[in-house]
Amino acid sequence: MTSVCFYFQVHQPFRIKPYSFEEIGHNHFYEYDEQNRNIMDKVSDKCYLRTNALMLELIKKHEGKFRISYSISGVCLEQFEMYKPEVIQSFKDLVATGCVEILSETYYHSLSFFYSKKEFERQVQKHADKVFSLFGVKPTVFRNTELMFSNEVASYISNMGYIGIICEGVDRLLQGRTPNFVYQTPNHEPIGLLLKNYSLSDDMAFRFSNRDWKDFPLTAPKFARWVHETAGNAETINLFMDYETFGEHQWPETGIFDFLEYLPSEILRHPDFDFKTPSEVIRAYPKREVYDVPYPTSWADSERDLSAWLENRMQQQALHSVYSLEEAVLKTGNEALLHTWGKLQTSDHFYYMSTKFWSDGDVHKYFSPFDSPYDAAIFYMNVLSDFKFTLGA
Amino acid sequence: MKSKLKVLTLGWEFPPLLTGGLGIACYGLAKALSKKVDLTVLVPQSYTGLPTENFQLIGLNHIPFTHKETIKERNLEEIQYRLEDFATVEKIDIELNPYPVYSPFTKTKISAEKNNVLLMEPVMELKASEAFALFQDKDIYGPNIMRKVAAYTEVVCRLAENIEFDIIHCHDWITFAAGIKLKEASGKPLVVHIHSLESDRVHPDARNDVYYLEQQGMQMADRVLPVSDFTRQNIIQYYGIPGDKITTVHNGIEPVEKFKNKKDKPGEKWVVFLGRVTRQKGPYMIFETALKLIKRMPEVKFYVAGLGDQLGHLKYLVEQNNIQDYFVFTGFISKAEVGELLSRADVYFMPSISEPFGLSALEAAQFDVPCVISKQSGVSELMPNALKADFWDTNKFSDLLYAVMNFEGIKETLVGLTRKDLEKINWEIAATTIFEKVYKDFF
Repeated sequence: MTSVCFYFQVHQPFRIKPYSFEEIGHNHFYEYDEQNRNIMDKVSDKCYLRTNALMLELIKKHEGKFRISYSISGVCLEQFEMYKPEVIQSFKDLVATGCVEILSETYYHSLSFFYSKKEFERQVQKHADKVFSLFGVKPTVFRNTELMFSNEVASYISNMGYIGIICEGVDRLLQGRTPNFVYQTPNHEPIGLLLKNYSLSDDMAFRFSNRDWKDFPLTAPKFARWVHETAGNAETINLFMDYETFGEHQWPETGIFDFLEYLPSEILRHPDFDFKTPSEVIRAYPKREVYDVPYPTSWADSERDLSAWLENRMQQQALHSVYSLEEAVLKTGNEALLHTWGKLQTSDHFYYMSTKFWSDGDVHKYFSPFDSPYDAAIFYMNVLSDFKFTLGA
Repeated sequence: MKSKLKVLTLGWEFPPLLTGGLGIACYGLAKALSKKVDLTVLVPQSYTGLPTENFQLIGLNHIPFTHKETIKERNLEEIQYRLEDFATVEKIDIELNPYPVYSPFTKTKISAEKNNVLLMEPVMELKASEAFALFQDKDIYGPNIMRKVAAYTEVVCRLAENIEFDIIHCHDWITFAAGIKLKEASGKPLVVHIHSLESDRVHPDARNDVYYLEQQGMQMADRVLPVSDFTRQNIIQYYGIPGDKITTVHNGIEPVEKFKNKKDKPGEKWVVFLGRVTRQKGPYMIFETALKLIKRMPEVKFYVAGLGDQLGHLKYLVEQNNIQDYFVFTGFISKAEVGELLSRADVYFMPSISEPFGLSALEAAQFDVPCVISKQSGVSELMPNALKADFWDTNKFSDLLYAVMNFEGIKETLVGLTRKDLEKINWEIAATTIFEKVYKDFF
C-alpha cells in the first residue's frame, strides 16, 4: 500500500507598515493594517474559501477516502477572526468531516526554536490552545516554521510528545534514497520523519503553469500515473505545499482547480493507493532508515537551508535584537506587549530583508510589500526601537 | 594586419583638476580606449607629470609656435556653424564655466539661437601668442570662457589638419563647435559624449547659448553617448534628440587605496557631501534633511566639502536656523584631503536634483562608505545597494541616514554588497561598449 499524504501551509503575517524613525517614541502601533486586511480579503476569496469548498466537496464525494492536513499559523487564525471569520467556519466544516488533520506549529510562525527554547515552547503551547479552542483537536504531528528542521529539532519535538514531524527531503542528505518512506532520527527516537517529495510537490505547486516545462500541461491522470509509478518502492508520497498554490500562485485560469477536482479519483483508480493524513502515515508505516540532518534545513530556495531568513547582516542583527528583548518583555507581565513581541518574530519580517535575489533588474522576482530589502530592514529596526522604548518606559 | 582605428578626442579639463567629474571621466576613458584604438587627445592644458601610457596627449599650452601668425577667420561662406555673439559675451558679466550656473544676482543675457544652424564666427584676429596665452591661464573656467572656446575651436581645427583620424569624439558642450567644424571639414563621423547638460545645471526649461550649443552638437553628431540612462532620457525629453542614436555609456572608476581612520571625537557621526555647492547638487536638501535628522541625532555632523554659488546661501540658512554646530564647511579640498574625509565618513550623502552621473558616490563607495543618494542620478543605475530617495524627499533621506548610522547590520550589508557591485564598474567596460557598439558601426 502507498499513501498520498497532503499537507498544506496556511499563513499570513501581521506585516509592519512603513515606519519612520521620527515615530519612534510616540507611535506604538506597527501594523500595516490596511494591507493586511486587503491581502486577507483577496487571498480568502481567491484561495481559502474557494479551495476549502472544493476540498469539502471532494471529501464528501469520496466518502472518507480523500484525506488531507493543514497547518494554520496562529497569526493567520487571528487575522481570519479579525477580517474573514467565514474562513474559520469553512475550516471548522472541514475538520468536522474527520478527514482533515490539523498540525502543530509555533503560534507566530517564528524562528524561535533557534533563539530561545523557552519562547519556542510558549509559542507551541499558545498555538495548541488556539487550535483546540477553535477546532477541538489536539495535534500529534508537528511542523516547524517553513519546515526548518534538524536533528536537534526532531529530538526536541519528539521529547515534547509528538509522534511525527514534517521536513524537506533534501537531496544531499538523502544521498540517492527516496523520500517516500517514513524515516527516523540518528538517535532512533520515537518520532517519525515525513520528508517532502519536492519533485512531485513542486510539479503541482510551481511548474504547473510553466509552458516551458517539458511536462506541461499537467493533468490529473498524468500526475496520478507518476504517483502510481512509485508502486513497490514507496509507502508515503508526501505532497507538501503552500495552500495559496490554489488560486493565488496558480491562478484559476491555469486549470489548477480542475486538476484538484479530478486528482483524488485518478489516484484512487489504483487499488494499492490511498490517501492518509500525516499521523495516519506515521501509524501505518514503520520507520525505515535514518535521515541525518546535522545542520538546519528548510523548504526554501535551492539551498534548502536557513539562508533566506538570516544570510545577511541586517537579518542577523534584526533577529538577534528581537530575541534579546525576551527578558525585558517577560518582566512586564503585560500580555499585549508579549503579543506584540511575538508578532515581531514572524519569519516573514526577516524574509523581506533578504538580499539573495536583490538587484535592481530583478524586481519581479522580489516578493515583498516593500520596495527593497533595505526598506524592510529599516522599518523593522525602527519599530523595534520604539518597542524597546515602550519596554523601558 | 588591419590598422587600428584612429580617434581624435577633444577634451577640455585635463588632467583632473577636481572641478568636477568631466576631467576624471575623460582621462579614465582615454586610458581604456587607447588599448583598442589609436588615440590623440587635444586639451587646453596638460601637466607633464601625468602618465599617458598609450595615447598622445597634446596640451595646447605646450604647442610650440615658432612663427607669429595670426589666426585669421576662416572662410565663412561654406561654413554652416555660428557661435553667436562672442564679442558681446565678453562685455556681459556672466560667470561662464563648463558648469555654467546663472546666479540670480548676475546680469544675464540670454541670446537665444533661433536658427537651426550654428555658425562659427571668430570675431577677431588673434595673434597666435595671444591665443595660446589664454590657455596658460591657471583658471580654465574663468570669465573668458566663451572667448577661449572660440580660440580653442580655431586652434583645434588648425591642429587637426596635421592629425590623421577616422572618428571625432567630443566631450561636453565646450568642444562641440570644434567637433562640428571638424566633421564638416573632414567628413568623418562625430561622436559626442555627454557628461552634463544645461537642463541639469540650470533647469529643464532653460534655453540659452549653452543649451543650443549642446543641442546642435547632439543633432550634428552621428552618435550621442550620455553617461547614464537618466541623462539619455533627459536628452530625448528636453533636447528632442531621437533615441536610436543615443547609447548610454556608464562611467568607470579608477581603483584606489582605501583606508579607514578614527575620528578625533569618536562619538560623532559624519554625513559627508563632496562636490560643487550649486543648485544642481541639492544643497537646500542637505539643509532640510539636516534639520530633521539633528532632532534625533545630536551627535551628527554634516561635512560639506566644496565651493559653489550656493555655498553662501546654505551657510546663511544654517546660521539662521542655529544649526551651525552641526555643520563643517571645509571649502575646496585636495584629493588627499578627500581621502582623509572619506576614511572617517559614516555615510555619503548626495541629494542631487539632477545628476547625470555622480562619480563622487562611487568614490565614497570605494572607501567602504555607505551611500544615500538621489534617485535622479545616473550613478543610482549602477548602485542597487545604495539607499535612494527622490531628491525632494528629505523625510526619506533623513530616515535613510538615520538607519545607516544607527543600525550596524544595515550598514554592513550595504557596504558588503556594494563592494561586489563596484567590481562591475570600470573603464574597460565603457571602452568596450564604445568600441564594439559605436565606433565599429561606422565602418
